[in-house]
Amino acid sequence: MWNASVVAVPATESIQRPDFMPYQNNGGTVVAIGGEDYCIVSATTRLGLGFAIPTRNVCRYSILNNRVVLATAGMFADTVTLHKVIKARVKIYEEQQDKPFELRSAAQLLSNTLYYRRFFPYYTFNVLGGLDEDGQGFVYGFDAIGSGEKVKVVCNGTGQALIQPILDNQVERKQQYENKQITNLSLEEALDLVKDVFTSAGERDIYTGDAVDICIITKQRGVFVETFQLKQD
Amino acid sequence: MSQFDGAGGGFQFDLLERNEKLKEKGYRVPVARKTGTTIVGLVFREGVVLGADTRATSDTTVFDKNCEKIHYIAPNIYCCGAGTAADTENTTALVSSQLQLHRLNSGRESRVTTALTLLKRMLFRYQGYVSAALVLGGVDFYGPHLYTVYPHGSTDRLPFVTMGSGSLAAMSVFESKYKDDMSREEAEKLVYEAISAGIYNDLGSGGNVDLCVITRGQTEYLRGYAKENERKFRKPQGYSFPIGTTSILSSTFEKSFVPTPLVSDPESSSTMAVD
Amino acid sequence: MKLDVFNPTFGFDELHRGEEHSIVPEEEMYSAKLLAPRLSNNNNPPKDLVKFSHGTTTLSFIFSEGIVAAVDSRASMGQYIGSGSVKKVIEINKYLLGTMAGGAADCTFWERYLGMRCRIFELKNKERISVAAASKILCNTVYQYKGMGLSMGTMIMGWDKKGPHIYYVDSEGTRLKGSKFSVGSGSTHALGVLDQGYKWNMSVEEACELGRRSIYHATHRDAFSGGYINVYYIGPDGWKFISHEDSGFDKHYQYVAEKAAEVQAQQMSIS
Repeated sequence: MWNASVVAVPATESIQRPDFMPYQNNGGTVVAIGGEDYCIVSATTRLGLGFAIPTRNVCRYSILNNRVVLATAGMFADTVTLHKVIKARVKIYEEQQDKPFELRSAAQLLSNTLYYRRFFPYYTFNVLGGLDEDGQGFVYGFDAIGSGEKVKVVCNGTGQALIQPILDNQVERKQQYENKQITNLSLEEALDLVKDVFTSAGERDIYTGDAVDICIITKQRGVFVETFQLKQD
Repeated sequence: MSQFDGAGGGFQFDLLERNEKLKEKGYRVPVARKTGTTIVGLVFREGVVLGADTRATSDTTVFDKNCEKIHYIAPNIYCCGAGTAADTENTTALVSSQLQLHRLNSGRESRVTTALTLLKRMLFRYQGYVSAALVLGGVDFYGPHLYTVYPHGSTDRLPFVTMGSGSLAAMSVFESKYKDDMSREEAEKLVYEAISAGIYNDLGSGGNVDLCVITRGQTEYLRGYAKENERKFRKPQGYSFPIGTTSILSSTFEKSFVPTPLVSDPESSSTMAVD
Repeated sequence: MKLDVFNPTFGFDELHRGEEHSIVPEEEMYSAKLLAPRLSNNNNPPKDLVKFSHGTTTLSFIFSEGIVAAVDSRASMGQYIGSGSVKKVIEINKYLLGTMAGGAADCTFWERYLGMRCRIFELKNKERISVAAASKILCNTVYQYKGMGLSMGTMIMGWDKKGPHIYYVDSEGTRLKGSKFSVGSGSTHALGVLDQGYKWNMSVEEACELGRRSIYHATHRDAFSGGYINVYYIGPDGWKFISHEDSGFDKHYQYVAEKAAEVQAQQMSIS
């Protein structure tokens, strides 16, 4: 019976139901900034689906331990699954080894987890931020299949093309050829910058809005989360 | 027919075949900007209220945060447009000019049904390819009128209507709160609520609420009736760049254009005429 | 079997086991092998949904003193520049380097895997692996996934018992030995410069500058290449990181100034 709905394909290729569509785009934007002695990881809370907003308050981040936070944009079902897997692996490691899971280990774990699904990827765009072994803030940005890079600032998700250029310009002084002194934003400056870029993206990207969860990671306080309101339209 | 031969008027179709070929070969065909939209209309005791949001989107990007979706048709008739922005703008403008000519010829006020007929004739002729979904409202000799016009040319005449991607959200407000014979204040408030429902619950709609209230002998276009979605936050210290941040690599100077005086100088013309 | 929920007549017998040493869990890769052709068969998803990194210029060549490898650092995802600071030279071990072109995740993952295999070889055989053997491990690994959409064009290079070697390996299963390669969307531009400037006898500095200049010209003309230029040198004692420079602004105006000085010097000598 199902033969009727199968598309004709050359014999060399396999047959597939034409309506099999395993992915959906729930939008969302994630931003992470690594500073001298802090790290900021932030994620919007709107869950979009087509032109609808099924909910305005989802959690797109996971606190892996008191110095590493993972945030994910893209498909929310995959986000939940991925976070579940990563959190479990971190927990098992910390129980067995009796030491904290380091930022770079988390990055490698995430990369491998994503790559294991190379041919049926998690439709997720991840940023991972935290303090490294020296207590310095660093962040990692990943594509959907686990290619990642250690950087100072990164944005992923539907607002990426709107936000990343501003972050490059403000944090890394990109395109400011004659003004190249390294900036070293203070935590307060970085927070204002994050709030500003999310507000701006909310003006122009329909999937960015409602609110943004901002995780602030410092050695003294561990992970502290605050919520910043965005426009609801 | 060459593409420069526009003497016949109307649309040209010379690129249609090419575009179909390109599509066949997998090239991306340029897409028109569609306005994900909430537009509504409501009849009340003395007239009609039209309402619209102000967001224009292109895919998932907001193109215009404060665009006008309530178009002028005649002094006593206005029309909200959803669908392809260019189609709604040009279709309403075309009908508007036809009605203006009709008024100049007849010396009488335009009737809403005339506008409706002109719109549906045009849209039916183009079989839905002119994608304009409209809410037409006005007050004429026979009283208040409210219509919807679908892209294929069919029309409805109803006491309250909604259109666009936010139409479901807006209609739920109307269905739960509409009454016959509302006052002007009640009607304005209900239309505002319906548009707000679209703005907040439909991602294709957003920005401000525009209203247009038409009563006998009077039209009020209330642009920016509600502005609840202004930007909330700005970085306190702003962004500043010291002078010289972008280095000057080279500079050239060009003489600016000075128009020649229209009145000829008698002296200069005499010297020119000598030889 | 249990994973086939879409097409009960699909022949499972055609599928063979993953490689013995595969660090990817067997079950995971089984599901991968089943699903890959199905998904890539569909016209829009997930190809359009999930964009991977592409666009590159990488090169390496052998000369009298060893090997020079030079690469750009841009990763583009369609029209968007995904990153401007990618490390496209992958340090497999102290004596082996790999370059990265095509899918960034494919290259990093499989070359990391190659690093593990090389270490296992050392432990088993009490000697370092040859470049030929290392490149063949990579080649054989990706050949198992042929036709499933891996994208990788890499140069495996190093110094072993028999001296300096470069092998080109790609995800189609090609493996070539050679002394001068360039891979990526900017490779034609780079080879143009590299070929005309190449000599067997060069100092390490000269060779590095030739590599650098070749990458610069490629980044200048190829929109999908850019960012920084990274240069590595491989000698008998293993690889050495040489330089990391901005290929756009700084390098461009440095070369422009050099060229202007050259022209001026020529004019002086004529007059």
